[in-house]
Amino acid sequence: MAFLILTLLTTLLALLTTAAIYRFNVILTPTRNKPLRHGRRNPNEPTHLLVVLGSGGHTAEMLAMLKRSVTAPNAAEKLNWKDYSHRTYVINEGDDISKERVVEFEELAVGTAEDLMAGKVKKATDIGPGKYEIVTVPRAREIHQSLYTSPMSSIACLQACRDILMKHTTDTRDGHAGEAGKVDFPDLILCNGPATATVLVFASVLLRFFDVRGCSTRGKMRTIYVESWARVKSLSLSGKLLCRVVDRFLVQWPQLAKEAVGRVEYRGVLV
Amino acid sequence: MASTKTCFVTVGATASFHDLVKGVLSPSFLKALQSHSYTDLIVQYGVDGKQTFDLAVKAAGSSGIQISGFELEKAGLGKYMRLAKGSGKEAQEGVVISHAGSGSILDALRQQIPIIVVPNATLLDNHQVELAEALAEQEYVVHGRLENLAKALEDAERLRERQKEWPPANSGVHRQAKAVGLRGILDEEMGFLD
Repeated sequence: MAFLILTLLTTLLALLTTAAIYRFNVILTPTRNKPLRHGRRNPNEPTHLLVVLGSGGHTAEMLAMLKRSVTAPNAAEKLNWKDYSHRTYVINEGDDISKERVVEFEELAVGTAEDLMAGKVKKATDIGPGKYEIVTVPRAREIHQSLYTSPMSSIACLQACRDILMKHTTDTRDGHAGEAGKVDFPDLILCNGPATATVLVFASVLLRFFDVRGCSTRGKMRTIYVESWARVKSLSLSGKLLCRVVDRFLVQWPQLAKEAVGRVEYRGVLV
Repeated sequence: MASTKTCFVTVGATASFHDLVKGVLSPSFLKALQSHSYTDLIVQYGVDGKQTFDLAVKAAGSSGIQISGFELEKAGLGKYMRLAKGSGKEAQEGVVISHAGSGSILDALRQQIPIIVVPNATLLDNHQVELAEALAEQEYVVHGRLENLAKALEDAERLRERQKEWPPANSGVHRQAKAVGLRGILDEEMGFLD
């Protein structure tokens, strides 16, 4: 009798594990569906960009990269900041310097954004500069903290990240879109390596695993990881953890693209 | 009045770098500064660097150089970089000596000031040295060594003439693509069709 129960439990466990592995495979392929978009800066389809900042160099590199994009003289390279009607910046608790830098950057970026023009007349459907918010999370890991105690602090961070990702959600309509005009889960999560980013990406994967509020169906929270410019010969720890998890993984040195595995791409220096 | 020439030293905002502070205040380096007609030395000595700085300044005694220092600057180091850049007639272009952190390096490259990069070997895995070497190889920066900062200063003078532009023009990768750089990647992931 006991043997029977044991067999059943083992079979059940095996089935669940297989199912979980299958589901993770489906979730983590970069070719998963993207939402259908009807033009840029469409007031009915607000776009949501989430940017993760960290201490010192991480924030400096991220903002330098974004600044370079929004001020690029070459039209093919220039990022129009109005393409993202809602921006969320995630910083560590107590990181006031990063907060100031974000405010500075947003002022600059909004100034560079172009309006939709028909001739010289501004189109009626032009959306304004949009909104941004700065949210904080407890640190996943302090500088010099032992890697063995990091899992504990990461749990608190994970819960905070989940709350941030769930802050704006809508329901699904037409099978692939959110309700018109409402801000939804982030469309993109852009990060460059602090431990907070790793935890946030894992939180987003968990949410998509269970298709919470339809985030997986609607193709939300695509993750883009840009490895730090300071990593020339080997990936950082965050990079190693995330290289098979994120949708796009970019390095900034060609020698690194040859060395590393996973979906590593080199598209030139981005900072 | 003679024109000023400023050397700005930064150890970064996150970790301390006592060896660099001591190195730039050593008599041999101060002499080298004088020989290249520097008039000012500004040192951002970072978190708990004040003691090291004060002791070294006292030991240095009088040199022909105007020395000043500060711990951190919340508003960013832009204004000190501009001092090092100089504004033409009254202020010649100087040099920036920095720890090998990407943020500081990018700032100096953007402003087109010759920069000497000194890796902070006390940080995790000595990771700063990779970036310093790679950039020095491509001749964007001078890789400075703590044992011989005077030589680095000389190399920086030579680099001044061959100062390279930053950011580099996209090196032919995807030149035909409609959208390049970070914007290209974001567009692809968003699924914008236009």
